[in-house]
Amino acid sequence: MARPVSHAAVVAAIVRKDLREFGRDRLWLILTIVGLALFIGVFWLLPGSVDETIRVGVTPPDLADTLIGFSAEETRGGTGDAASQEAQPTQGLEVVRFDSAAKLRAVVSGEADGPDVAVGLAFPADFAGAIERGAPVTVTVYVASGVPPEVRQAMESAVREIAYFAAGAAEGADPADVVPVRQETVVLGPDRAGEQVPLRERMRPLLAFFVLMMESLALAGLIAVEIQRRTVTALLVTPASLTDVLTAKSLLGTSLAFSEAVLMLALTRSFGAGWSVLLAAALLGAVIVTGTALVSGAAGRDFMGTLFLSMVLLVPLAIPAVTVLFPGSTAVWVKALPTYGVMEVFVRVTSYGESWAELWGPLALAALWCAAVFGAGLLVLRRKVRTL
Amino acid sequence: MSAARIFTVFRKDLKLGPRSPIFLYAVILPVLMTFVVQVAFTSLFEPAPRLGIVDRGDSELTAAAEGLDGIQVSRLDDDAGLRRLVEANDLDAGLVLPPGFDDDLRAGRQPELRFYIGGESLASNRVILSVTTLDLVRAVEGAAAPVDVVVEDFGGGTLPLSSRLVPLIVMYALVMAGVFLTAFAVVDEREKRTLDALIVTPVRLGEVLLAKGSLGFVVAVVMAFVTLVLNDALGGSPAGLLVTVVVAAAMSTALGLVFATAARNVQMLFALIKGTGFLIVGPVIFYLFPDWPQWIARIFPTYWFIDPLYRVALQGDTLADVWWELAIALGLTLAALVAVVALARRMQARLAVE
Repeated sequence: MARPVSHAAVVAAIVRKDLREFGRDRLWLILTIVGLALFIGVFWLLPGSVDETIRVGVTPPDLADTLIGFSAEETRGGTGDAASQEAQPTQGLEVVRFDSAAKLRAVVSGEADGPDVAVGLAFPADFAGAIERGAPVTVTVYVASGVPPEVRQAMESAVREIAYFAAGAAEGADPADVVPVRQETVVLGPDRAGEQVPLRERMRPLLAFFVLMMESLALAGLIAVEIQRRTVTALLVTPASLTDVLTAKSLLGTSLAFSEAVLMLALTRSFGAGWSVLLAAALLGAVIVTGTALVSGAAGRDFMGTLFLSMVLLVPLAIPAVTVLFPGSTAVWVKALPTYGVMEVFVRVTSYGESWAELWGPLALAALWCAAVFGAGLLVLRRKVRTL
Repeated sequence: MSAARIFTVFRKDLKLGPRSPIFLYAVILPVLMTFVVQVAFTSLFEPAPRLGIVDRGDSELTAAAEGLDGIQVSRLDDDAGLRRLVEANDLDAGLVLPPGFDDDLRAGRQPELRFYIGGESLASNRVILSVTTLDLVRAVEGAAAPVDVVVEDFGGGTLPLSSRLVPLIVMYALVMAGVFLTAFAVVDEREKRTLDALIVTPVRLGEVLLAKGSLGFVVAVVMAFVTLVLNDALGGSPAGLLVTVVVAAAMSTALGLVFATAARNVQMLFALIKGTGFLIVGPVIFYLFPDWPQWIARIFPTYWFIDPLYRVALQGDTLADVWWELAIALGLTLAALVAVVALARRMQARLAVE
């Protein structure tokens, strides 16, 4: 006499079987472990701060203050390592004083060790006096290897501007009259100078997506093998129904993707005050990639075919995570992609500390997409199994 | 060996090849990588300051700004649009030039200059844009600067990151077509047993390998050239570039044939390529980090074709400058082909008993 078996027991049995198969598939197992370690490693290797300073060496030392005047705010601190070289960081400029032009030249050219300066400005010793007398004055700008043209250009401009101010001062002119325009400067939006989001933080959504993507590929591979070998039809002559099989595949895919994403987020110290929102977003992301795995697994004819189809489906889903890396507003078509809501939540929780109240919009959008993609996946796989 | 039989197999692969995902990878991915590397990575690691200008009076300043190196300048129609773009961080800064700006400037009337700075712009970009703008204003004013500026540049031969990434993209094109496409074409036929069917016809195994290799070679040459064109890296020596690309494609294809004859199935092929992948792509990393000891790159076999390619395509070298490196690459290609012959004999013996 056959004992009735509950659906939960059947689903659990299929999940156990799939987990065993996943464990035996060395390719995906190794890729999962190595990939996870790699993504976490990459995260910690990326710069944790934004370098928004141009380091400039100046000689003679007393002209450093004039250069610092170009910055909106002036803060003092930090030291250079060579004798009498005091580094002075301001907004956008860090000025290092050098005793002699020879030493400055040697440091910028890399011939001598010294403070890390990209550009050196060597003014003549009697710069102000020569300007006052109207004598010809030449300033040398030393430019190190790899300095972008706009920095070189700006430093040349800065030297000329210092000379204009020195000439104005010598004539006793009001500094406001030395500038040929009435300049009105307005900062638009929250001023993040000195508090920029570092590349490490901006990469977090993309790395989380890579983890989700890897599990999607593994699940697609598992499903494709079942379809190709038709073992799924063998399953259906047992007490397992098609719904049980689909539930088991969905549960396995979602839980694998979700648990790895959570592990990755935990090991990159992403969980702060907004941990619950982050978990919700990770779960929605896991369900979306599981939905794509159901489609590619059902449609793939062989290993390469499944891999190709998975990539075709997953690459567009990675676009919202990639756009986070770049400054500027997000294009409307990117906002229409299924993973946009999930990535938006990742960014706004980890970089700006936002909470449920501010993030319900992107979460609702992600939930809608989640239902659509997952529903499509179930439909495609169900139809495929029925045709076997 | 029969050229007619080789051509028949080649033609069949050329006809059926585009249906294979690997063929599509080999054609699409180098183009995609060019886009990603040139657009994404260069703006990620070397972001150029972005300046928007609303010019209500056709000022000379706008044209001068557009001619600046390293600064992206866009013209806008209205103040509100400029403010919106600066606030959304689509621009680092914005400039509004009123009508008659140039005339007022030259007459010493100190015209108004509205300068918007984006809150999310980098502090360094703010300094660059504000100082450069002031210098442009001085240039339009026409006043002689009270100082001469002499620039001593120690830049030497360091190329920008976007150029140093070109070897990576070209290597990718060569590996996908020369190595992967060639190897997969053979292993896939072996796995699906169609190779068994082929070699019971008058076609010999050597002819099949040569036909598969020829297809990989042709696609590798084409994709390497496409990648170089897309990256604007054609150098000044067309003959040198052609020879270098041909040698690079030949060596990639020879490596592909080694993998093709060594792997028994697709999984094994993946494992072999992944396991030895660092030996193939290793040298391109050294172009990204010019401060590393460059001699280490010479340990990798693929260095001997990628370095001549880099020098001819990007540094203006000619065939005369790189011939001895290409000779080493050809020597390595011959060594790989000797290995292919030995592995093909073993493969034929296995096919006979499988």
